[in-house]
Amino acid sequence: MNNLLSMAWKEMRHDFRDVKTLVFLLAFPILLMLILGFALTNAFSSNATIKDVKVLVHNTSSGQLSKAYAAFAEEAGKTGIVFEDVKTGMDGREEVEQNRYTDYLEISDGGIHLYGSSRSTIESNIVQGMMNSFADRYNAAAAVAKQDPAKVATLLAAAGPEGYIQDSSIDAERQPGAIDYYAIAMTVMIGLWGAMSGGSLIRYEIVRGTAARLAAAPVRKSDIFIGKVLGSVVLNMLCVLVIVMFSKYVFKAYWGDHLLPVFLVLLTEVVMSISLGLAISYMMKGEPSGGVVMIIVQLASFLGGAYFPLGNDIGGFLGSVAGLSPIRWANQALTGIIYNHSMSSAWTAMMLNTGLAVLFIAVAAVMMQRKEGI
Amino acid sequence: MMNVLELRGLTKKFGDFFAVDNMSLQVREGEIFGFLGSNGAGKSTTINMVSSLLRPSGGEIRILDRDIAKHSRFAKMNLGIVPQDLAIYEDMTAFENVSFFAGLYGLRGSELKERVEEALEFVGLSDKAKSFPKNFSGGMKRRLNIACAIAHKPKLIIMDEPTVGIDPQSRNYILTSVRKLNETGCTIIYTSHYMEEVEEICSRIAIVDHGKIIAEGTKEQLKATITDVKDIRIGLKTLDGLEPALLQSIPGIRVLSVQQDEHAVRIQSDAAVDNLSKILKQLIDGGMEIRSVAEQAPTLETVFLTLTGRNLRD
Repeated sequence: MNNLLSMAWKEMRHDFRDVKTLVFLLAFPILLMLILGFALTNAFSSNATIKDVKVLVHNTSSGQLSKAYAAFAEEAGKTGIVFEDVKTGMDGREEVEQNRYTDYLEISDGGIHLYGSSRSTIESNIVQGMMNSFADRYNAAAAVAKQDPAKVATLLAAAGPEGYIQDSSIDAERQPGAIDYYAIAMTVMIGLWGAMSGGSLIRYEIVRGTAARLAAAPVRKSDIFIGKVLGSVVLNMLCVLVIVMFSKYVFKAYWGDHLLPVFLVLLTEVVMSISLGLAISYMMKGEPSGGVVMIIVQLASFLGGAYFPLGNDIGGFLGSVAGLSPIRWANQALTGIIYNHSMSSAWTAMMLNTGLAVLFIAVAAVMMQRKEGI
Repeated sequence: MMNVLELRGLTKKFGDFFAVDNMSLQVREGEIFGFLGSNGAGKSTTINMVSSLLRPSGGEIRILDRDIAKHSRFAKMNLGIVPQDLAIYEDMTAFENVSFFAGLYGLRGSELKERVEEALEFVGLSDKAKSFPKNFSGGMKRRLNIACAIAHKPKLIIMDEPTVGIDPQSRNYILTSVRKLNETGCTIIYTSHYMEEVEEICSRIAIVDHGKIIAEGTKEQLKATITDVKDIRIGLKTLDGLEPALLQSIPGIRVLSVQQDEHAVRIQSDAAVDNLSKILKQLIDGGMEIRSVAEQAPTLETVFLTLTGRNLRD
């Protein structure tokens, strides 16, 4: 235990005395936060204008569904949403893609299909919400019809336009501004920089020749290994703490009222990052491992929204790859904690980070045991 | 006398290449044991196996009569390593460096402080205890490298070329320190590319070549093995135009080496063959201007050259 703590303390001493790296670790994210936060202020305006909502409809249904839809369209039309029937020769999906309609609705006896526009996300979400309400109500009516057909008309008639649109607000007064967003994004990004520290932990000893002396000393490899990781985690968490406090008190970034879970998410991210760097340094010996870690960190930062926000609705290959970025998990987790007071994304991020940390440490530990020296 | 280090059939293979080939050796308590070999001979690989940096492919290493594979901690506690490459942290003071490494051997509190101060004093760095090695000269760094290996008072110290690249003053200081350490009861294994150092301080020497020990004994014993060889040194004005192959063809010549720095040719030849006049004629016919001719008594260098066919610094 003493050797483990000695290793951790030595590691911290190296890191704290490397003033240039320390300044870079702190100054770079703060400067980026400042520059991007002010440059992109307008992009984070919380005032959104809702355009006219036009829905193209291809209705081939009959019977109760057709009647119910007609009643729905009439009521929904009172809110200003325009439902237009598709004309011969029109391709509904193409019309939406060309942004001439917000949504394309296909109604048949088999069900309802809605194609939304990615260019008018808010408007499309409104229609989607209404259609969900309609589908729920219709399903309820169909169930009632089996028991008491007389009550169906009453049930359907009970829904005015307000029956289909329900206002809900996460926190009407608190939306992340640019500084708020970049405070989270930059903090999460330097958490991932732990991978670079992790990647150089063992290489540092080899380059300085001290690996030979450590290998000759009566110290367990695991003490060297855990001590170095521990020291690195402490330093990286201190950097994270400084960034959070600086952004909170100097830039007045909003960090919410639940800092403990925020730091827990960041701690798991730092541990995972250092483990990732360490595992890569064992898998790819020498300088190339540093380059690989750097590429991974930069890609993850870019795809995770560290430099500019990527919406939640990005799909395709980019969406799939972005979903692999630890920065994205952590961003979503922190946003959930800070703005929604929700831990659901945080649990996911913490479990993913912890699971990956265990995996990476296991890989590094196995390779370390097989390796001669340290 | 007790064996502080014993190698029994030690072997290290890298693929099909035997870096150390079935090596057996005994280093006795209180010796300064010279371990000589040119680059690639297998001495660093042997040292790395003794210091646990490499795993042997076969054989046994015993320190103070215990197998290090079974008594790793005991062996490490009694071993001090002065690696060929400096093994110190430039961003930690001299005191912190020695203290950190000594701490790994279980030293704590006032005992640790005392030992660290003692080690720094031993290498003459007491007044630099709070200084960072990045501001040290090469010689001072080498001395700190030694201090880091001795603070825990090991019974066996392995010094792998501890005087590489330093000024003569620091070199003398280190050689004196080695003797003083030995006088305190430490057994020392010493490797160097400087034959005169080995000749000066080592009580027994092993010559390693191609992963095997090809000769072992005291200086006198080793020199006595080559009574049938004479060592001739011929100084020349310039080496331009020298054709070693022609000289090599003269009967009786065993080894010929060209000393570039000294503009000289060194020849080991059969003592029984009188070939000096032929050698000189060959040189004069080749247009070489001879400055000096000397037949030397065998030195360790002669022994090494005769046995391995190479200079120690090759």
